[in-house]
Amino acid sequence: MTTADIIAFTSRSVLSHRLRSSLTALGIAIGVAAVVLLTSLGEGLNQFLLQEFSQIGTNSIAINPGRPGTFGVSTGVINTVRPLTIEDGEALARLPQIKAWTPIRAGVADLEGNRRQRTTSVMGVGPGAPIFFGMNTALGKFLPPDDPQSPRPFVVLGSKVRQDMYGDSNPLGERMRIGGSRFQVIGVMESRGNLLGFDLDDLVFIPAARALELFNTRGLMEIDVQHYGNYPADEVVAAVKRLLIARHGHEDFSIVTQQQVMDTMDSVLDVLKFAVAALGSISLLVGGVGIFTIMTIAVRERRPEIGLLRAIGSTRRHVQELFLAESIVLASLGGFIGLVVGAGGALLLGVAVPALPVTISIPYLLGALALAIIIGLVAGVLPAHRAAALEPLEALRAE
Amino acid sequence: MPGLIRLEKICRDFQVGDQTVHALRDLDLLIEAGEYVSIMGPSGSGKSTLLNVLGLLDSPTSGRYWLNDRDVSVLSDDEVAATRQSEVGFVFQFFHLIPRMTALENVELPLTLAGVARGERAQRAALILDQMGLSDRAHHRPDQLSGGQRQRVAIGRAMVMKPKLLLADEPTGNLDTESGDEVIEIIEKFNVEGLTVIVVTHDPALGKRARRHLLMVDGRIAQDDCG
Amino acid sequence: MRIADQGWMATTAILRYPLRTAMMLIATAIGVSAVLMLTSLGEGARAFVTGEFKSLGTNLLVVLPGKIETSGGGLPGAMGGSPRDLTLDDAIAIARGQHVARVAPVIPGAATISYRNRERDIDVLGTSAAFASIRGVKAAAGQFLPETELDRAMPVCVIGETLRSELFDDANALGKWVRVGDRRFRIIGVMQDAGTVATINIDEALFIPIGSAQQLFNTQGIFRLLVETKSEAVMDAARRELIRTVEARHFGNDDITVVTQDAVLSTFNTIFNALSAALGGIAAISLIVAGTLIMNVMLVAVSQRTQEIGLMKALGARRKQIISLFLLESALLSLFGAMVGVAVGQLAIAGLNAAYPSVAFRAPAWAVIAAVTTALASGLIFGIMPARRAASLDPVEALSGR
Ligand SMILES: Nc1ncnc2c1ncn2[C@@H]1O[C@H](COP(=O)(O)OP(=O)(O)OP(=O)(O)O)[C@@H](O)[C@H]1O
Ligand SMILES: [Mg+2]
Repeated sequence: MTTADIIAFTSRSVLSHRLRSSLTALGIAIGVAAVVLLTSLGEGLNQFLLQEFSQIGTNSIAINPGRPGTFGVSTGVINTVRPLTIEDGEALARLPQIKAWTPIRAGVADLEGNRRQRTTSVMGVGPGAPIFFGMNTALGKFLPPDDPQSPRPFVVLGSKVRQDMYGDSNPLGERMRIGGSRFQVIGVMESRGNLLGFDLDDLVFIPAARALELFNTRGLMEIDVQHYGNYPADEVVAAVKRLLIARHGHEDFSIVTQQQVMDTMDSVLDVLKFAVAALGSISLLVGGVGIFTIMTIAVRERRPEIGLLRAIGSTRRHVQELFLAESIVLASLGGFIGLVVGAGGALLLGVAVPALPVTISIPYLLGALALAIIIGLVAGVLPAHRAAALEPLEALRAE
Repeated sequence: MPGLIRLEKICRDFQVGDQTVHALRDLDLLIEAGEYVSIMGPSGSGKSTLLNVLGLLDSPTSGRYWLNDRDVSVLSDDEVAATRQSEVGFVFQFFHLIPRMTALENVELPLTLAGVARGERAQRAALILDQMGLSDRAHHRPDQLSGGQRQRVAIGRAMVMKPKLLLADEPTGNLDTESGDEVIEIIEKFNVEGLTVIVVTHDPALGKRARRHLLMVDGRIAQDDCG
Repeated sequence: MRIADQGWMATTAILRYPLRTAMMLIATAIGVSAVLMLTSLGEGARAFVTGEFKSLGTNLLVVLPGKIETSGGGLPGAMGGSPRDLTLDDAIAIARGQHVARVAPVIPGAATISYRNRERDIDVLGTSAAFASIRGVKAAAGQFLPETELDRAMPVCVIGETLRSELFDDANALGKWVRVGDRRFRIIGVMQDAGTVATINIDEALFIPIGSAQQLFNTQGIFRLLVETKSEAVMDAARRELIRTVEARHFGNDDITVVTQDAVLSTFNTIFNALSAALGGIAAISLIVAGTLIMNVMLVAVSQRTQEIGLMKALGARRKQIISLFLLESALLSLFGAMVGVAVGQLAIAGLNAAYPSVAFRAPAWAVIAAVTTALASGLIFGIMPARRAASLDPVEALSGR
């Protein structure tokens, strides 16, 4: 029998039980669709975060006080005997590799202005901060490059804070009190939305030195630096380390490059995607059980046919191939339908819920299809073997 | 109005492709309670079709049918089923026993369907099996019984609901002469006790044993003699 | 027809094809056990995390400086500063409250500790004697921080077990002087092994009096104030009283945030329950697949048992009876499958528990109920079509096997 004949024969028998075949294929289709849909969500999340993070300045390095803590966040961020200072940042900025930098000291304070009051997150930063936050001003300008030790008391508002305190009127030039001290509004940031649950619109930026004063502390929570792209990150990290050890006499800080953050996130998301794919595959497994059952039934029902085939000269091998082919056809049919439905569903979901990042992951898509076919193969082996093992006379006598 | 069965201008057409087969043509028939009727005729003449209509398994394309003075052409699906259950017993050429059930369970089946309690059911079924001479086979499955024994189980099943009418479609068609005779004797015994019996057969000897002989040809009753 | 009889008929029909039946049971069982196992993972994680918190007592209020009003801006408030500190004097005033049993202010930080030529970067926790009982930790040797006025700085410290062995090997640490930052402290206690309690690794930490921590880190503000109330019943009263106290001291400003264990716990509960539900939901998709299999096999059964159905009709079976016979058959299949699945799932969960004794994996009751109901519903829904098909067979044709 040629391959074409086998295909013709099997499609005939698949088509002769249309409802049964479609139900069998449906089992596989549901599994494949689930895998495709779930991994599309995972991949979408991955892409979304990647994009968010790549906006936050490439080639950036974060330096925190204290050694890396057990839970990722160093306790040194809160208090340390040897804090990171603005002077440290200035020294880092003088390194030839460094293109931009910002100190960071965050806190919460009361704002008063335009006869309104509000409690808001306050970010003490430097003029270079927008690169690292991936934000731009919508109105006015960002903090000017004053002397980092004694900057003028300017404040740049997040879009939500501006809405709440000034509505649609122009806040530029307005004076406001932050934690009792006087500041002048010189800019408003464009809306940026949430990043990992942190509302980037509900905050204000003031010069870091002013924030240290406000919160009555000397230590920064973080210094971010951006280096020129033509220096390898390792070399920059080494230079930063050398400089800070020279200044502190001691390695009492931790350094994380943006690449490291993204790599970690990537591997976490890879695990996540694999996990959801595995979860979806449970359905695929059940679909496989379905193919096995239906093929077993088919072999039993078609004993006379098998007997006839053998009587007119088919070999056991032929019979085996026929049933195996049928099982694979069913699985691939289901796999293909599942693929179309899953991918279509993912796209629809992306359109219907724009907040939900959806990206179809081609490797997982092909993987799901391949898995479906393999399942068809495995599920078909035993029934096909049974068919082949039937004695022709016995098979003919059945019925 | 007298008569257990009264047919008036019964037609049964089958549509096969674009061709209409007239299996029964304008058939009139009156059968009294307690009669013993045989139906004979060439293959394809409509004997089985008539029997199915009589047993309410099939409904005529046109015409009217009174069973026990009730116009059954107007009954609902469930009413028809209920009538079959209580008033009609069937015996088929191919027995139609349920293979995974024992002889006793097969006989019990109509009682089970009717919701009769377990104890009473077993008792009634065992009694019937005893009448069939099959008490020692009660717990055998059909594939462990001979053809004659199987047909006797089927008769037991038909009779367990004490119907008024027994319809048998070539009940001996699949049996050797000896077991065929056994089966017919059992049926005749029930007839003597008042059961109306209608038997379709190809066996002239068997047909002669009935008191009334119908000959069917081409969907019509060609001959009806009571001799 | 009686229910028992229907059940018996359906069962005999099911037992007639053992392989086919086994496969349908396996299909359903895979789905149900997957739901159970996955939800038990979520539940285990939830129990583990909330257990960590619960062990810290239910009559605990945590006071943070600064008021957090907005949902998104929580992070800097928790980590950074606030213009008006929560001071030790505030803590002392709060401790005087009538519903307050004891308070433990906390100032965490990082510092370098050295003993002779050994040096380590460590987490330092400035706190008071009450910390030990509030957080449920104790000293294995010597004592925890002494009971004194809160604002008194003393050059004493208590170290974690890991830290002790790293600095002193097997030598006795009690009474030794260590250097922390630019100050010297005498070791008066070594903590019992406790692992991580509320995100602090006790074994690697160094405890010093709160007053000393203020000097060491040159800060006035308290990072957290742990307040233990006299009982769980007075939590609300204590909270109101506490806010009034602070308001009075901060010139009418209640610029603090009070967090209860309950609030934190319920947040965790919500998150982990959602996780369990999502995992269970994904696994439950496979129950639909199992349903399609049941439907398929029931369709096969209907066509194989055509003559039997015809006979039943000849014997007077009603349409409803035939429908319920076949529906019952699919329901039984999915019910048995679900039961097998529950058994297998529970077995696997028992295995998980044996492998990881520290986490209590347990399929929540709602998951068991939901899995079994979904399996049953799926069997029934997918059973409808075959059953209707059986009921609408024409008896004459069915009998003749046409
Ligand atoms: N379901 C059906 N569809 C189409 N034609 C049918 C159907 N049932 C019966 N017929 C036709 O109706 C006619 C009468 O059939 P019936 O089975 O009643 O014959 P019969 O007298 O019982 O024959 P036999 O002695 O061979 O059993 C035949 O021509 C048959 O082909
Ligand atoms: Mg006939």
